[in-house]
Amino acid sequence: MKESLSSSSSEADPAPPAGVARRLHERVSAMGSVAQASVPGAYAWAATVAPVAWSRGGGALAKVAALVALVALAAGWIGEPRWGSRARVASLWGFVMASAVTWSVAPAALAPLHIDAPHGLAGTLGWALFALALAAPSLEGNREPARVVDAEPLAARRRLARGDAPYLVGAAVIAAVMQLVGWRVAGVERALLVRFVALAAGLATIDAAASVAVARHARRGQVSMRARLRRSMAVLVLLGILLLGGLLFALRG
Amino acid sequence: MIQLPDALAISLVVGASCAFILGELALADAEDLRAIYWLAVGTACVRAAVHMGRPGAKT
Repeated sequence: MKESLSSSSSEADPAPPAGVARRLHERVSAMGSVAQASVPGAYAWAATVAPVAWSRGGGALAKVAALVALVALAAGWIGEPRWGSRARVASLWGFVMASAVTWSVAPAALAPLHIDAPHGLAGTLGWALFALALAAPSLEGNREPARVVDAEPLAARRRLARGDAPYLVGAAVIAAVMQLVGWRVAGVERALLVRFVALAAGLATIDAAASVAVARHARRGQVSMRARLRRSMAVLVLLGILLLGGLLFALRG
Repeated sequence: MIQLPDALAISLVVGASCAFILGELALADAEDLRAIYWLAVGTACVRAAVHMGRPGAKT
């Protein structure tokens, strides 16, 4: 049984690349997740930590903390093959905490007036890629797949249903557009509040679009348009009151 | 073929996005009352879209 399972799983796996490409693939895969994450990590460090540490207000402590962050990242790369997940966790926390110390001892360099929009977006992208690469490395080597259930092969996840992609892509574009707003706010607290609200609004938009897309595939049963309107009546009435109130307020003003 | 409730739900999501962006702009301009208003409109639109699109038992 197991032989048949292993043979079926090996048939399902994609063929490994051949020749030089295969050796390179195996070599990069053997490096581990911290090594793969160190590239976007170094980019995030260069975009958001180093400019703060070596800015006009950055003191010696900020510079030392920034260097410690870089050393923690490199130590994770070196230590992961030997100590595994312990080195990965230590590297992650060392890098993040040392970066946080740099930002906290030189907060003036983080003021929105000192960070232009492309610079801020590049830093956000770098940290997001670092987190993604560390949590889910793109190359994991040719190791045996871990089975949760030995008895039978697990069914593959469903592919994205036809017609769902425009919903998700559209929502992602809208969420990205929301991140472009409010990069020239003067106060630190308000700038952080705008970023927080933009993030929450983007997530809410993506969640709503995904819910609407998924709901199309579920069996609607006998639920009529009238029943669905009645079900969402409370929220629609609240929305109507809000829009009417806003209109009256605008006319009055 | 998009059904009418789905079209309404999509319109509500788009409306919510516009309201959220207006809320962010108001927040960036330090117009807190206007920001709260648009964020509330956006939240109501999102809730209405999810309720509208969600299949379920007959009520």
